Amino acid sequence: MNALGIVFRKELREILRDRRTLIAIGMAALATPAVLIVISQVSAKTATQEYTVGYSGDIPTGLDILLTATSLKLERVDDPAAAASKQVDLGVAFQPTQIDEYYDPTRQSAQIADTRLQTVLGEYNAAKAAAALREKGVDPAVLTPLPIKSHPLSSVVKAAGNAFLSFFLPYILITMVFTGGLSAALDASAGERERKTLEALLLTPAPRSRILVGKILAVTTISLLSAFAAISSMLLALSQIPLVGARVTLSPLAAAVMVWLAVLLAGSFSSLTLALGTLAKNFRQGQAFSTPLYFITIFPASIILFIPDFNPSLAYYLIPIFNAVLVLRDAIVQNSVAWPALGVTSVSLIATGLLCWFATLRLFTREALLIRS
Amino acid sequence: MSPAAVTVDRLEKTLGKNKVLRGISFEANSGEIFGLLGPNGAGKTTTLRLICTLLAPDAGSVAVLGFDTRTAPEEVRRRVGVVTAEIGVYARLSARENITYFAELSGVIDGELNRRVDAVIDRLDMGSFAKQRAESLSSGQKQKVAIARAIVHDPEILMFDEPTSNLDVLASREIRDFMVESRGREKCVIFSTHVLHDAERLCDRVTILHQGTVVASGTTAHVRGSHRDLEEAFLELVG
Repeated sequence: MNALGIVFRKELREILRDRRTLIAIGMAALATPAVLIVISQVSAKTATQEYTVGYSGDIPTGLDILLTATSLKLERVDDPAAAASKQVDLGVAFQPTQIDEYYDPTRQSAQIADTRLQTVLGEYNAAKAAAALREKGVDPAVLTPLPIKSHPLSSVVKAAGNAFLSFFLPYILITMVFTGGLSAALDASAGERERKTLEALLLTPAPRSRILVGKILAVTTISLLSAFAAISSMLLALSQIPLVGARVTLSPLAAAVMVWLAVLLAGSFSSLTLALGTLAKNFRQGQAFSTPLYFITIFPASIILFIPDFNPSLAYYLIPIFNAVLVLRDAIVQNSVAWPALGVTSVSLIATGLLCWFATLRLFTREALLIRS
Repeated sequence: MSPAAVTVDRLEKTLGKNKVLRGISFEANSGEIFGLLGPNGAGKTTTLRLICTLLAPDAGSVAVLGFDTRTAPEEVRRRVGVVTAEIGVYARLSARENITYFAELSGVIDGELNRRVDAVIDRLDMGSFAKQRAESLSSGQKQKVAIARAIVHDPEILMFDEPTSNLDVLASREIRDFMVESRGREKCVIFSTHVLHDAERLCDRVTILHQGTVVASGTTAHVRGSHRDLEEAFLELVG
């Protein structure tokens, strides 16, 4: 076996005996389902939660039944405006010719109650108008001269699931690829210096480039293991937990794209974190160096969350990480791959990985590496 | 006479702004313990690092068994084993796994691997703790692991850099015995220390460094001269 394989096997063995790494992988597998369970329960609770409407005046006939049916509890108050600021979620003053609504938009409960009230009132007004027209012998259809009939070309429920996944999956992938291998990378670099094994390692006749590649491959393996543990558990959790209005599945194409991008990202991140670990005097300093890097890597994934319809030119796919998020998002939402975009993304990520590897090798072969230790 | 195992010729090295070595020369032979002596900061460790190719010389040259450290560093490393005061080991690997790792990296072939590792474990009397994880070993046991990994590829040159500075009396004694035994096996043993008393007992020849230059070189008896011991001779030499 050559030096690369020897180092890879030893690093993997050491990493898998490291409690920190095992905890990180375990956390990665458990954290996402835990978050999804909380989201699911909060969503379900919000959907059935009862909100209180403080009202004054006389409630139009039948409206009270509709409001109660949509979990809006009615409570008579003297001053709806004052009550809406704290006592109840919404204040309503029923006047003979109009309804005054009072609510505090900074309160989430008020926003939800407002939406429900608007929906109920819309339906109530429409029903009243239709009844009045019918009384006068007019067909209520005149109120909708151009009715719309929707013909969705794919499942709306599935589309909602894809939209959810396109937000969530790139974020989880990048976070887990980065953090899953971080501890292992720092242990294989700063750890060598800290436990004073670096000099003995460099004294062997094994070429340093092979030693380094062996370490990168081991860290990459752990990163991928961590990311796939997190994503598998997430998909499993999503198949079991009902999320409101969404059915989440990952198509084979999107899964293949995800695996390919994960490999490229893990290779780059491993080289980069090993470089930072090589610069650091010890494990703790390595962690301090890596924290800003985490925010830099996670930033592109976060940006996409806020611009879901962003349609970039090919040049945008040159930006590492950002490009991976875009390609993965498109593969999930559209279930198709724009091959030029994937090509540019792959070239960009491979170039980034090679650049990081080269920088790490330069650091790894500098005399200063030993003098500092 | 056979050529020297290690030849250091007008070696110079600057680290940062500090000129550590100022043109030192010496030779060390197979079958002898060669003492590289001097106070802390004299340049002993830098010299050893230059010999084993961890550092590159600014001027001058080092040859190990005929291989130049600049042009054939991997050949040099294949023939050198280094034991330092820093007994860092991989804590989550067993003593045996530590040794095996370095044996593999040093090019010990698969068919030979287990035999070599077993032999070195026997030689250093490590059988009782060979399967224990290194994190649970005592300092003396870790030092044995460090020695084992340095010699498992059976190098012709053995270098000891202040090897006893962190050890108790018993462990230090074992190291000294090991150096003597290695000399008996016709190895070239280079022993770097600032403890001149140790050197006087063990070394056949010595070179004394002071501020990056050689201030004395020769057999131990020759360098001691008419002084009571090496320490007195050294104090007179450095004024």
